[in-house]
Amino acid sequence: MHLTLEHVLVLGAVLFCIGLYGAITKRNAIAVLMSIEIMLNAVNITMVGFSYFDTVKLYSQHLTGQIFAIFIITVAAAEAAVALAMVIAIYRKRATVDVGEIDMMKW
Amino acid sequence: MLYQLSWTILFAPLLAFAVIIFGTRVWDLRSRPKVALPAAEHGHGEHHTDDHDTHAVTDEHGHGGHSEQDEDDDPHVPQLSAGAKASAYAALVIMALACIYSWVLLFSTVLHPADLAAAGKEVFAYNWLSVGGLNYIVGFHLDRLGIAMMVVVTTITFLVQFYSQGYMENSAGYARFYAYLSLFAFSMLVIVFAENFLVIFCGWELVGLSSYLLIGFWINKRAKPEEQRPSPASANLQAFIMNRIGDVGFILGIMILFVNTGSFDFIAVQHGVVHMDKTLLGIAMILVFCGAMGKSAQFPLHTWLPSAMEGPTPVSALIHAATMVAAGVYMIARTSPLFATAAPFAWEVVASIGAFTAFFAATIALVQSDFKRVLAFSTISQLGYMFVGLGVAGPEYGVGPGMFHLFTHAFFKALLFLGAGSVLHGLHHAMHKEVQDVRLMGGLASKMPITAATWLIAVLAISGFPGFSGFYSKEEIIGLALEQGHPVIYALTLATAGLTAFYMLRAFILAFGGKGGKFMGLWGGPYRGYGEVKESPLYMTIPLMLLVIPSVLAGYWTGFYQYVNVSAENVANLSIPALFQATDTWIGVIVSLVGLGFAWFLYGRVDLVKINQVVQSNAALRTIHRILFNRYYVDDLYNWIVKYVVLGLAALAQAFDRYIVDGIVNGVASGVTGTGSGIRRLETGRVQSYMIGFFGGVAVLAVVFVVLITTVWK
Repeated sequence: MHLTLEHVLVLGAVLFCIGLYGAITKRNAIAVLMSIEIMLNAVNITMVGFSYFDTVKLYSQHLTGQIFAIFIITVAAAEAAVALAMVIAIYRKRATVDVGEIDMMKW
Repeated sequence: MLYQLSWTILFAPLLAFAVIIFGTRVWDLRSRPKVALPAAEHGHGEHHTDDHDTHAVTDEHGHGGHSEQDEDDDPHVPQLSAGAKASAYAALVIMALACIYSWVLLFSTVLHPADLAAAGKEVFAYNWLSVGGLNYIVGFHLDRLGIAMMVVVTTITFLVQFYSQGYMENSAGYARFYAYLSLFAFSMLVIVFAENFLVIFCGWELVGLSSYLLIGFWINKRAKPEEQRPSPASANLQAFIMNRIGDVGFILGIMILFVNTGSFDFIAVQHGVVHMDKTLLGIAMILVFCGAMGKSAQFPLHTWLPSAMEGPTPVSALIHAATMVAAGVYMIARTSPLFATAAPFAWEVVASIGAFTAFFAATIALVQSDFKRVLAFSTISQLGYMFVGLGVAGPEYGVGPGMFHLFTHAFFKALLFLGAGSVLHGLHHAMHKEVQDVRLMGGLASKMPITAATWLIAVLAISGFPGFSGFYSKEEIIGLALEQGHPVIYALTLATAGLTAFYMLRAFILAFGGKGGKFMGLWGGPYRGYGEVKESPLYMTIPLMLLVIPSVLAGYWTGFYQYVNVSAENVANLSIPALFQATDTWIGVIVSLVGLGFAWFLYGRVDLVKINQVVQSNAALRTIHRILFNRYYVDDLYNWIVKYVVLGLAALAQAFDRYIVDGIVNGVASGVTGTGSGIRRLETGRVQSYMIGFFGGVAVLAVVFVVLITTVWK
């Protein structure tokens, strides 16, 4: 049984859904961040999968998905740093990392 | 040249007004010592709403030493400053010159009728505005009707101003008073000289303004409900508003005429209305007459005139004789060619309202106890005569009869009012308070002989006693009513003549005579007041004596009929011999004599207390007395209408504004606010719920696109 594009896409979709579920349901801000990372990596897998199984075989397009994935990894690293800094700042201010209680942005 | 320069008469009082207001009055005010009122006196000073006059040292103690009773009065100064006196002299000199000039005009037009064309002459024209082919001209013209009126206005104003030197002695508002009198004369002269409806309307409103200022001159005085007297400040408002009601009709009438003839000019309108619908013209003229009803205090709009008695008495004389109420009669005389062109009902309305008012006011005057109010109602009644005179004369007799009565009435009514002012002035000095009730007078004839003698002559003149001026003008109108076929109007005016004689002699005997006096109660008698009454100073008695002359002699100038209305054919019939030969003249005389005799027998022979007892003990008499004393409750009716109808409508309008208009505006606002405060609950601030919304939206869009792709866009 060969590895096909469908396998990769299903893996990406499943991972994305797991991440989404985690991001929506988890109360802990750290866990939410982790879930977001899973969602980003699910997208990375999809990108790389599209790139690997590209049927047009143009060299310039061959790498587009790969480069996207690299960019996303970079941005995700920056995002993780900022998000963790924010979580720490909020924890210092309010002594909690429960996202249900972090609702300062309403009204 | 003599006629061309007559516009100087018009502007002379305006000049006097300007000189006083900008010159001598400023001088007067600046020369007053600026004394801060001590705190204790401030309660007294708080009514001084005219801030300029509060600079006056309120001379409570110098004025007879009865400050507690004089506190209602206008503020006084210990003595008049040079500026105040200069104001009076400026007004007097200028008015004397205008007066002499107008008499010269009168004599020269009488002696050389050919010099001034019958249609008159334009003496001043200023093109105020030219819009779309229409010229609005501030134009003044001079004709015989105007000259006759001008003589009355300038003469009466001059005498009133002369008289006021005595009456307004030491008033803090002395200079202001003269300024207003001059403005009043100017306003009236604008009406007299007016060449078109626009100018006459301006003068009309100016007269309203001046009367407003003068009726409310004693701004500090309060209402006296026990004497049914309003405060001057409300009386002048009443006069102003009543006149506005009439003016609505006037301006509507002018508009109808303007729309149909395309001009405001009297002569152009006169030529234009020939092609107009007679009924519409009649309605327009009745609307114009509404304005005259307001100014001349005819029946539905008459209540302001008795209230206007709250003004200083010289002002009452001016209003009643020359400047205010005469304006209505003059305006109807001025527009009489239009009335003559209109359907006959226009003149009939004028005559009927005049006759009814004459009778109506005369019955009220029968029982009034306020000295000035009797005179006020007699004025209303006599104005009714003038409108009857205008209304019944028709084109054959023209405006002569009505205007002649205006002419003679001006002199004897001025005399009556100035005499009344002399009495009130004397009583004020004797009793140190304002007394106008005839029940507190009596026996003044022996104390004030000049006033009493001149007043008696005026009483005889207004009663139509043969030989006095009122006889000629009034009997002419009464006779004309019969001759022109108006039996009801004739009956009403004839009855009014008797009533007039009765109430005028009643007022005379109550004030000046009384039971126990000489000549069986006609002269002197017991004085019912207190204090020592003295004859007024010469400043006041000289105008009285001067006014006696025209009060007697004015009636002999029957050339007046021809003078004011050259085109009337039948005026030759209106001569003195013809008057003496007519039977109805003598019927009128008999009725007047009956009235005089009845008053004399009742009030000269019987004690006032006894008369009151008889009236009060008889139920019917008591009821009639009460109705008449309360002036048929017309004032109360108006108060009721204002209180319940006008204020009710105002409350409805206010409720509409508050609940409906404001309700819509506030409802929209609160709807938006409510929606917003409901919707803001969606903003929880929780990131995860936003995330659900975001990804839920994406999912929905995804499903939609999948469905679209697989079905529609395939």
